[in-house]
Amino acid sequence: MVGKLVGRGLLFAALILVVPVSSWSADSDSASNLREIKREIRELAADRERAQEKIERLEKRVEQLEGENAQIKATNAQIKTETVQTTEQVKTLSQAVELGPSPDGMAKAFKGYLGSHTFTLTGSAGMDFIADQQNGALAGLPHQTQNSFFFDWEPMMLYRPNDWMLFEGVLGAAFGSTGTGVDLSSALIYLFPNDYATIVGGLFDLPFGDWYEDQSPMWVNKFVSAPLPYAVEPVVPPAELGIELRNGMQWGSVGQDLDYTVYLGQGPGYSANVPGAAATSPVAIASKQTNGKSVGGRFRLYPLPIDANLGRLEVGVSSYDGKWLDGKWLTSWGADFNYLLGNLQARGEWVQSYRQMPAPYKQDNRQGWYLQLGYMLGDLNLPGVPDEINNYVHRLQPLVRYSGVNQHYVDTDDIVAATGLGQGGIQMGLIPDFGLSNSPALYAPHSREVAFGLDYWIAPSIVWQNEFDLELPRAGGTFINGAGMTSPAGSIPNDKAFLSQFTIGF
Amino acid sequence: MAMKKIIIALILVAAAFGPIMTPCRAAEETKAEKRQMIRLGAKLWPVYCNQCHNARPGSEFAPYQWDQVMMHMRALPNLPAQDARAILEYLKDGRD
Repeated sequence: MVGKLVGRGLLFAALILVVPVSSWSADSDSASNLREIKREIRELAADRERAQEKIERLEKRVEQLEGENAQIKATNAQIKTETVQTTEQVKTLSQAVELGPSPDGMAKAFKGYLGSHTFTLTGSAGMDFIADQQNGALAGLPHQTQNSFFFDWEPMMLYRPNDWMLFEGVLGAAFGSTGTGVDLSSALIYLFPNDYATIVGGLFDLPFGDWYEDQSPMWVNKFVSAPLPYAVEPVVPPAELGIELRNGMQWGSVGQDLDYTVYLGQGPGYSANVPGAAATSPVAIASKQTNGKSVGGRFRLYPLPIDANLGRLEVGVSSYDGKWLDGKWLTSWGADFNYLLGNLQARGEWVQSYRQMPAPYKQDNRQGWYLQLGYMLGDLNLPGVPDEINNYVHRLQPLVRYSGVNQHYVDTDDIVAATGLGQGGIQMGLIPDFGLSNSPALYAPHSREVAFGLDYWIAPSIVWQNEFDLELPRAGGTFINGAGMTSPAGSIPNDKAFLSQFTIGF
Repeated sequence: MAMKKIIIALILVAAAFGPIMTPCRAAEETKAEKRQMIRLGAKLWPVYCNQCHNARPGSEFAPYQWDQVMMHMRALPNLPAQDARAILEYLKDGRD
């Protein structure tokens, strides 16, 4: 068996050896080439696959880039449009900036910034020069021609917490005949509950005639001084402490209005319990001078419609009644008018009061009046005069006023210790004060005054006023002092006074 | 006793004229209504103001200050409320 196997192995080896070598070697190259080719084919296929993948990636990238490009184009177009719009907006805004904010817009913005509580400090100020030629004194009082400067500053604060309430306070700060001094002129709270009523509480100017409330401020009064019924011997008290109900309404065409004021006050007070004593209202709470309060009313009517071009006419009546000195009565009434037609203005008042007196005096009667005319030379063109000069002339307002007071007595203690017009303080004798010549003739029981005025209006609220007064008192009447000692007033010399005032008001 | 009667009378008068303590704000105005008020104010301004003092231009105060000043100016001469509002609108508008 082993021999057989050995034999067969030897035979196989011989066969291998007899096979031609060359033929065997050719077959071997061909297979190698084939494998190489197959390998190359595989590599090519792999390369092709990679290239295909790369192409696909690149195609995707191209698509992505094309998309992005389209998006960029769209964005670019949008930016162009927006740029045009922005340019237009910038132009519009530039124009708006150049024009400035509208008053409405500014007001809203400012109001929003300020908040609902707002206040304004305003008021008035004035400087006087007063020269008074005193020809003769009253009995027991020295006289001396005077010339002096005075200054008065009256700041007014308006505080508005909301649209139905206003607080107003006015101080009078003056350098007057007794040096510097400050007093409280008025302090009021206004309530506007609706269109039909205004409620006022506090220290207020007496709503009697037009003088105290409307005409007494230095920048409103066309003259430097007050008319005699409201000067050193006032017929009715100047102020009250209490409450008012007031309002106005239209009863016909535009301009045809009526208005009313009714009030309740602390009551009238006087410097002494003698006839002719100066009215000093409002009564201080501590004084206990009155047993009853005061009550008053004022009614005004405006009959002319504005469209009729007949001017503005006001006619009014006033009353003021109350108790003083342990229940003794005071009653007073007045009538007034005011007429404005173009450059012409006329106004006048009649005032009368009766006061019950303790024994041995009879009642204390007083009457006063004034009539005032003014004409603004706004339309006057002097022929042959340059325009520059005429422009000065247009600012001039000539004025004339006649006023007088009648009373039986004048309290001489009031002259020695006279209270200045709204200034407070004590005057020793017949020394001028702000807005007051304090001429002896003013204290005559039957005083009369003719005042000529010439105002130069620098602006609607700034004026230089000049006034020349002729004091023409009538004889008669009686002087009395606080202790009741009397002497006949007799004849009181005439006086002349010159008052010049520069004033500005709010 | 008399004092009580006076106070009661004052309250009754006030009550008779309208609802108490209702803020007197102007109703929301249209532009046309506002223009109409300004025209009315322009007509009233020289007449009502000059009655006591020279009429002032709107430029003298800021609009918020005119709100305060006109409250004072409505009260003292007792201007009808709608007229006071018209003058106020005119003054606030005419500030140039």
